[in-house]
Amino acid sequence: MKGYRDIVGDGGSQIVAQVVAARQSMARALAGVRHLVAIASGKGGVGKSTVTIGLARALAAEGQRVAILDCDLNGPTQAQMAGVREQPWVPGEEGLELPRTADGLGVLSMGSVLGRETALRFDAVSHGDEQVWRGTRELTVLGQLLAGVRWGALDFLLLDLPPGAERTLQVAQLLGPRAAFVLVTVPSAVAREVVARSLDALAGDGEGAAPAGRVLGYVENMAGYWCRDCGAVRPLFPATEAPLPVPLLASIPFDPALAAACDGGSPPVADSPASDALRTAARQLLATLETPS
Amino acid sequence: MKFLCIACDEPMKLEESTPPADGAGFTATFRCPACGQGVAMLTNPWETEVVGSLGVKLANGRESRCPMGSMIAGSRPAVAADEGVAWTAGALARLERIPEMVRPMAREGIERYAKNAGRGVVDEALLEEARAVFAS
Repeated sequence: MKGYRDIVGDGGSQIVAQVVAARQSMARALAGVRHLVAIASGKGGVGKSTVTIGLARALAAEGQRVAILDCDLNGPTQAQMAGVREQPWVPGEEGLELPRTADGLGVLSMGSVLGRETALRFDAVSHGDEQVWRGTRELTVLGQLLAGVRWGALDFLLLDLPPGAERTLQVAQLLGPRAAFVLVTVPSAVAREVVARSLDALAGDGEGAAPAGRVLGYVENMAGYWCRDCGAVRPLFPATEAPLPVPLLASIPFDPALAAACDGGSPPVADSPASDALRTAARQLLATLETPS
Repeated sequence: MKFLCIACDEPMKLEESTPPADGAGFTATFRCPACGQGVAMLTNPWETEVVGSLGVKLANGRESRCPMGSMIAGSRPAVAADEGVAWTAGALARLERIPEMVRPMAREGIERYAKNAGRGVVDEALLEEARAVFAS
């Protein structure tokens, strides 16, 4: 009796062909993007989104053409942080035009089109059983956003990932080998452990499978509290943790002014230790990616 | 998923399919091209959603399980769309050229923009104007 691989085609459903076509469409849409960099962690609340928008602005200040895709569909923050909340999405001649901030960053975030206190809901025939299919559907939406926007010529497309080590791995596999990763952690034992698990997940299974994602390094966020009055940086966490086994791109102290700028959708103050650290991370990133291997 | 006629050792061909309706799965019938034997595949709602979550069209392309389109149907948008705004054929053609999943959002945002600009018609000039303001 014939086996699955003995039969050419799928009997007419063309489901495999549609999935393949969707992946090809994504690759075409991203053809003009030089560097696809996902900002991930695994741990929630470590400041991935703050680091993403900060890195984007720092890279732009270095003359790079930068855009952000907010991959956190359920908790989008980039629209607010970048100041593009309720900015319409414009259909162009060749796809959806990339929304831009006042200072020229491209930012696509569900926060632009969903209400401030509105949960993301999907219609389904399988009511009440979202655990069965929701994760897959969200990843499909991400793929369709990547394929459906006219990204144009970019030096960097930064992807602000949602929390979850499993989500980090799934997005890595959706993006394929082109994507590189920057991990974000805070100097606490709990966060370090979760981020180390994400790092391990991206490294592959150790049994011959290729790494799911290339990790460029990590950013240590909330590395102390910077007091604007006295200029001192004081620890926020009790002890220094062992570094992760990838390059440290920068340590960013917590700065209330940076948090306020993110909440208000405005650029951070230029002369602060946090801004300096983001600039350092951007330059490290450039040096890593622009140096021939 | 493929179906094989055991008697003929021949792959069956998709004959007909029925889109999923609310609360039910989708149905597909396959037939063996050699002996004519038929079989119906009746999926439960979970199975339907799992396949539909891949963003593919089911039932010979008649039913799109576009994840974003269905999402918008179930979510309250930031600002309600204005029903009094008309679209020209050229503007609609542009809307049709963007992925199905983002059409409801794009349409809603553009209609809001048109309304705020005191315009009752969305045409290509207005889209270019919006592009210049928000996307370039």
